[in-house]
Amino acid sequence: MFATIPSALVMGVDGQPVTVEVHVARGLPGLSIVGLPDAACREARDRVRAAVTVAGSDWPQMRITINLAPSDTRKVGSGLDLAMAIGVLVASGQVPQSAVDGLGFIGELGLDGTVRPVAGMVCRVGAIRSTEVVVPVASAADAMVIRGPEVRPVATLAEVVRALKDPPAGWPDYRVVPTSFPDPPAVDLAEVRGQPTAMQALELAAAGGHHLLMVGPPGAGKTMLASRLPGLLPDLDLSQSIECTRVHSAAGLSVGGLITRPPYRAPHHTTTPVALVGGGADSLRPGEVSLAAHGVLFLDELGEFSPAVLDCLRQPLEEGIIRVSRARYCADLPARVLLVAAMNPCPCGEGGRPGACRCPDGMLARYRRRLSGPLLDRFDLRIAVFRPDPQRLLGGEPGPSSAEVAERVARAREMAAGRGVDCNAHLDGRLLDEATPLDDEATALLSSALGAGRLSARGLTKVRRVALTVADLAGHRGPLTAFHLSTAMAMRIDVAGTRGIAA
Amino acid sequence: MIGPSRLRGLSSAERTAACLVSLSYLDGIGPATLRRCHLEHGAEETWFDLLAGRSDRVVPIVDLAARGNPELGARLARQARQRDPIADLAAQRVTGRHLVVHGTRGYPERLVADQAAPAVLFMAGHPDVLRRPTAAIVGTRNATLAGRSLAEDLGEGLARAGVTVVSGLALGIDGAAHRGALSPRVDVQPSVTGVHVPRGAVGVIASGLDVVYPRRHAHLHRDLAENALLVTEMPAGMRPDTWRFPARNRIISALADVVVVVESRVTGGSLHTVDEALVRGVPVLAVPGHPSAPASAGTNALIFDGAGLVRDTSDVLLALGLDDPRPQGQPASDGVGAREDTAAERAVMAALGATPSSLAEVVTATGRSVSEVSHALYCLMASGRVAETEGWYEAVPVALGPR
Repeated sequence: MFATIPSALVMGVDGQPVTVEVHVARGLPGLSIVGLPDAACREARDRVRAAVTVAGSDWPQMRITINLAPSDTRKVGSGLDLAMAIGVLVASGQVPQSAVDGLGFIGELGLDGTVRPVAGMVCRVGAIRSTEVVVPVASAADAMVIRGPEVRPVATLAEVVRALKDPPAGWPDYRVVPTSFPDPPAVDLAEVRGQPTAMQALELAAAGGHHLLMVGPPGAGKTMLASRLPGLLPDLDLSQSIECTRVHSAAGLSVGGLITRPPYRAPHHTTTPVALVGGGADSLRPGEVSLAAHGVLFLDELGEFSPAVLDCLRQPLEEGIIRVSRARYCADLPARVLLVAAMNPCPCGEGGRPGACRCPDGMLARYRRRLSGPLLDRFDLRIAVFRPDPQRLLGGEPGPSSAEVAERVARAREMAAGRGVDCNAHLDGRLLDEATPLDDEATALLSSALGAGRLSARGLTKVRRVALTVADLAGHRGPLTAFHLSTAMAMRIDVAGTRGIAA
Repeated sequence: MIGPSRLRGLSSAERTAACLVSLSYLDGIGPATLRRCHLEHGAEETWFDLLAGRSDRVVPIVDLAARGNPELGARLARQARQRDPIADLAAQRVTGRHLVVHGTRGYPERLVADQAAPAVLFMAGHPDVLRRPTAAIVGTRNATLAGRSLAEDLGEGLARAGVTVVSGLALGIDGAAHRGALSPRVDVQPSVTGVHVPRGAVGVIASGLDVVYPRRHAHLHRDLAENALLVTEMPAGMRPDTWRFPARNRIISALADVVVVVESRVTGGSLHTVDEALVRGVPVLAVPGHPSAPASAGTNALIFDGAGLVRDTSDVLLALGLDDPRPQGQPASDGVGAREDTAAERAVMAALGATPSSLAEVVTATGRSVSEVSHALYCLMASGRVAETEGWYEAVPVALGPR
């Protein structure tokens, strides 16, 4: 009169093994679920009962108790429905215990007995403690992404019951075709004309992992440039691929295969803090930052995002991880993104070029106050983008293709790997000092810039990192020269400054 | 409510001043109405008519109410009952500040005959500076480096020639002009009698004397109030509402013998000052700019329309009918002992035209790599020949300055 069935949940991007324990005994007929189920989980009572009867089995007229172990963590969602139904059937003796040995179950039940897909299949299958796992056919491809238990796709509860009761008939044979996750749109850098600094900045961002801020009027091509950045990044390595796939699965996206290309996410500026960094009351779903992990997070119209949302980004950008904590539980979500942001120089959009802006001072000051200094400081590369000259749009030679640039980027990343980091943006303290000796002219240039107030002490570190990437891309070895440093400084304009108004 | 009895303790002039101050605090009475009330009806009479609810006897207010504001009289009376003219007058009596009523002694002669002279003026500093020849320097807040640099040079050169520079304390051109006029390089001859000689600068503001706007010019505000002159028609504590700036501009042009516009967009507020100047027959001069520069579109249009052209201080002095007192030699050639420019630096200097350029534009114009151009730009910046603001590069004007 007792059964234990393995299943799994997802919390953040991590799977959590759960054991569904079902006890059937004499008493007033009824079903109670214990072990901190949330509303969706408690409603399983009605779904399970309907599905079991529709599948042709009997609902035991006895006292049924279902415990979800470990019972001190909150159980969220409907992914345990199938395991509960099987537990009831085993505990009431309709399915022999021996038939479910080594089997785990994941899936939601419909009232008609269909087995439906649930979010986070990749993470759940990775965590389940069984040698075989029964999953909804719709997410079977996701379940097969990670090498783990053998996957048994099913469409209805009746199929499961038939397979368990009558082993020779076996499991239904669904042909599971792994689809690949849609890659970011294939756009090539060669299509960009007349944007020399922006091209250089994209290459530096890709090679050095430097966050990039583009400031320019509407129509300057900021979005077009940003969408070409993922194409310059190298393929994800295996651990990055798996992490990326798990995040997408946990967010409820059907992945259908391992994600191998860096993701590109461009959330709208009305995004809320929770949607950006992840969280939510129950399951701690990963947010846009985590979905963009190991890829590009593009924030268009940075000035229109609410300041509270933007300031949420500061810690994740620094540490590469988001720790979302709630009273009962917390989760670590990946956040190692390449941040690319675009904004207009001012509300009227025409600013930038001195003398062209029509904005009243108060409005301009309000616009600029939205961007906190610490956030702007996270951008190693800050460039002005302008509408290209029409002549160069029509004629002009095409720039280098994405493939050519990607090759240079890969070489530069190899040099960074030789220093023990993924990319130069992660170089810190002693490593940076060792990697960036300066020649005499470079030292003179820096001291003149520091003396004239064009560079702050904090800016110096950033400029040295970017200068190192400039040198790496040029295949330069040895001390950094004034060329590298001045390029880095020219790529770091003062956005929130005084707009050249004499103070 | 303060009855007529308490005011009787004051002299007649003080009563007028107190009523004018209180009237100018009322929301609904602008400079023009205040002036008419003062000249046609009398300030004291207006005040007591308002208090007594007899605003229908005050013709300027009746006229104003007739323009779609029938409740005006009642609204003003309500506000007036909250005010105490004696306390309002006392609030203006701060050391170093003057309150002058139109038609009394001490009121600036330049304004007495003006068609829109303020009924009451508040000044801080040294009203004497208005006895010198005056030139207003105005222009856009959002100015280019070259514009600000020229405004500062003009301010300094004019002050040195004994001309008082009038401006509006705004960001950009105005502030630069004040800074030039207040510059310690303008040697004010130490007076034999030991009396401090004020500097030739006047700031006309749209708020009360104690309200600093814009905040960034707090130091200029203080400097003007202590060492030069600060003028407003607004009593202490009044905020600079948007509609007050055009009214402020009329005082600037009324105080000026000549108005110089350094930079202005086609729809700039400084063009309002020009309109006011033209109404008063004050000559208008403008600094030309490159045809494609948005910051100079307004001034170029002015020159096309017949405004005088300003290249340097002596052009302004000429318009004032003054001779340049101190002709100077050419400034020493730049880059003493400097190395030769590299080819890249020459190309970059050639590409930096009259208007500010972005890095991308310089790269495109020179056809050189981003690294080469940035290196050249930073070398030029190190030697002070190029300046950068927020990614826009400008050649530092070397030929400008007082000659």
